[in-house]
Amino acid sequence: MTGIEQRSVCDGVNFRSVRDSRFKTVRMSIHFLLPLEKQSAPSNAILPFLLTRASRKYPDLTQLNRHLAGLYGAQLDADVQKMGDVQVLSVSASGIADRYSLHGESVSAELSRLLCSIVFDPPFEEGMFPRAGFEQEKRQMLEQIDSEFNDKRLYAMRRCEEILCDGEPYGIGRFGSREDVRALKRESLTQAWNRMIHHARAEIMVLGDCDPEPVYSDFFAAFHNLGRTETVPCETRTVRSAQKVRDVSETMDVAQCKLVLGFRTGCAEPDEAVPACKLFSALYGGTPSSKLFLNVREKLSLCYYCGSLYHPLKGILFVQSGVERRNIDRAKDEILRQLEEIKKGNFTPSELEAAKLSLCNSYRTLSDSLDGLEAWYLSQTFSHPVRPPEEEAALVQTVTGDEVRKIAGGVTLDTVYRLTGSGVKPQ
Amino acid sequence: MNRIREIKSERAGDAYYEVRHSSGLKILIYPKPKNSSSYAIFGTKYGSIDNCFRTSPGGEPQKVPNGIAHYLEHKLFESAEGDAFARFAKTGASANAYTSFDMTCFLFSCTANVYQSLEILLDFVQSPYFTEQTVQKEQGIIGQEIRMYDDDPQWRVLFNLLGALYHTHPVKIDIAGTTDSIAKITPELLYRCYRTFYNLNNMVLCIAGNVEPDRVLQVCDKMLKPADPSYHVERIFEPEPEHIVKARAEQKMAVAVPLFELGFKESCASGRATTQQIAETDILLEALASDASPLFRRLLDAGLINEASFGHEYFEGPGFASVIFSGESRDPEAAADEIKKAIASVRAEGFDRDTFERAKRAVYGRNIAALNNVGCIANSLVALEFAGRELFSYIDAVAQASVDDVLGRLEVQLRPQYSSLSVIRPKQPAP
Repeated sequence: MTGIEQRSVCDGVNFRSVRDSRFKTVRMSIHFLLPLEKQSAPSNAILPFLLTRASRKYPDLTQLNRHLAGLYGAQLDADVQKMGDVQVLSVSASGIADRYSLHGESVSAELSRLLCSIVFDPPFEEGMFPRAGFEQEKRQMLEQIDSEFNDKRLYAMRRCEEILCDGEPYGIGRFGSREDVRALKRESLTQAWNRMIHHARAEIMVLGDCDPEPVYSDFFAAFHNLGRTETVPCETRTVRSAQKVRDVSETMDVAQCKLVLGFRTGCAEPDEAVPACKLFSALYGGTPSSKLFLNVREKLSLCYYCGSLYHPLKGILFVQSGVERRNIDRAKDEILRQLEEIKKGNFTPSELEAAKLSLCNSYRTLSDSLDGLEAWYLSQTFSHPVRPPEEEAALVQTVTGDEVRKIAGGVTLDTVYRLTGSGVKPQ
Repeated sequence: MNRIREIKSERAGDAYYEVRHSSGLKILIYPKPKNSSSYAIFGTKYGSIDNCFRTSPGGEPQKVPNGIAHYLEHKLFESAEGDAFARFAKTGASANAYTSFDMTCFLFSCTANVYQSLEILLDFVQSPYFTEQTVQKEQGIIGQEIRMYDDDPQWRVLFNLLGALYHTHPVKIDIAGTTDSIAKITPELLYRCYRTFYNLNNMVLCIAGNVEPDRVLQVCDKMLKPADPSYHVERIFEPEPEHIVKARAEQKMAVAVPLFELGFKESCASGRATTQQIAETDILLEALASDASPLFRRLLDAGLINEASFGHEYFEGPGFASVIFSGESRDPEAAADEIKKAIASVRAEGFDRDTFERAKRAVYGRNIAALNNVGCIANSLVALEFAGRELFSYIDAVAQASVDDVLGRLEVQLRPQYSSLSVIRPKQPAP
């Protein structure tokens, strides 16, 4: 069982820590949460990347990276992700536990100071992020967007998401649109940074083999110096069921076609039925003994992968597969037929039990890694009360077959997305 | 009688057990009693490059279709009674497998029923069952796996590079083979490869996590079938010239941003690299091209790479070794030129004490951090065992490396006349 301690730093800012000496590392992070909006998405998204490239003491990127390398390969990382209709801006520091340093340095104390300093005291020039760093991060964000296009499985998934959630905040990419990133101005970023530290809800996490107290003190001082006022509320809109099926096909020069189906499940956080919906997804397409794997792949040999993915914060579910062009409709029909089977209750107690075991196994594995713990507790941001992964596993255990059948009954197909190629192997 | 040895690391504060089981199998057990999960791998030293071999001294060379090791990996999950996934579904373990150039590994991770899952793992890998019908069924699935990789620019840029570096070595052949080569696979061929390479003397079992060594060995005693003592395998590789095939390889694909891999081929006449050589190479590459290096900064400032994609690796296995730099770049040629210039400068001037110390610390820290993860540990132990190396002595070698030895690697590594550049370019401008 993972012992987590939770406390408040100030209004809108929470601090969570798990101290455990079985880890050989520490990881501390701060996550700012803001509503996902077309206008502000790119200026928010670039902030973690700008912040992790310089500090007041190490204003040059190479200087900073040398300092980190000298701290036994410690790392500062930036990340941006969507959690429902919320944009999450993360900055994290990780490194080895103090007991492994070869010359007695305290890596964790230095990482805590560094993290606070880069977030709250960036080395501004004339009140702005330095120009060269800004230009470079903007270029890199554009290249990251392009890079998603290179990965066809990811690209097809993103396109389906965009179409499914067209007109909803969730339809916006995590960085915002390419055009809006291109139009980013350095002048607007100081304001975006101010809004983030003063008004965004913040979740701080300190995990692994280190004393969280000094980190808490560093952040406590930093936030109290700011004098935060109100916190911007973050809400996610859930569309409970699809009105009609959107059907979109696009072509590209690819060897294999991608098929992605987007569904509304009618079930999202904080509904009590969320564990049942997670179990439904595992039974449907979450494991190698699921309906989709056994039928679309093993029985019909139509594909290498066919699986489902449920987003509990948004209440949507995707099924994705890679198939030959001539088999797209057969695959789609079989995917939908397997959903009907679950709706009719055509699954055995042992299939249900297998889905439960698999899901519980993945929850219980989370507590063995700092990344896993961080991702889990971040996903619990909007849950009351916050549950450790072991408790979530226990809840999944209590779900009945009837509850899964009811969930399936509320699942409606919203979007069919096909990325088709010529079917000829590219030279 | 099983022979057991404990291997300890003062630096890591960890220990694991090496067991030579009476059946012939090498077993490595790395207990992490506070962990929730355990991770087990049953692997064989048999990968995509082992496509020509002899099974008796002086016997006829046997050539088998490309992709058969990977095909065999897929087919072992099936037995007369059903498939292994269905059996793991009852224990809750998450099972998987992979085939690389030089090994095939079957694995599971679990948080409960570990000994029961271990029985299943040992049982299904030792129970081949292939029929015309089951072999036929896999063609569609693996065919789609191959198609998926055909669209994967990172996969293509690597194999185009390997084709440019290697004349004869089968490392240049796609691990899964081609739709044509896998069409030639029959149950008889699968059985032949199975008998040749799935002998316990050619295999290893690694388990890391919340396990008791005695109970692991009890399961092994019960499940392991004595290996055929007349076992003999001789892998046949045509001689690989020292020089490269061509300096450039290029392909156009539906990508928005070009990708490159720049590889430097080494001579492999002396067999696999030693633990110390690997440690020295890792430090050399860290000093040369990590995000703290002047090279990295120059590439970034010139807009030639991005932080998300730029990287380097030491790509090393039986009969092949290359240092590979990779990334996305608007101008791969210019990026490659910068990298070669930086190599020339290190060759001429070496690097200063601080650079060396920092690189050493960074490599050391990352390797300590990797010991958090039972999956990392088990996968490393298997790969190191097949390469004749050892995990903790690698960490010691990093901590003890000297700057002269590290620079000494340049005599055989990163030689510009043995380098190739592979590039994937967009078919049309980005949308």
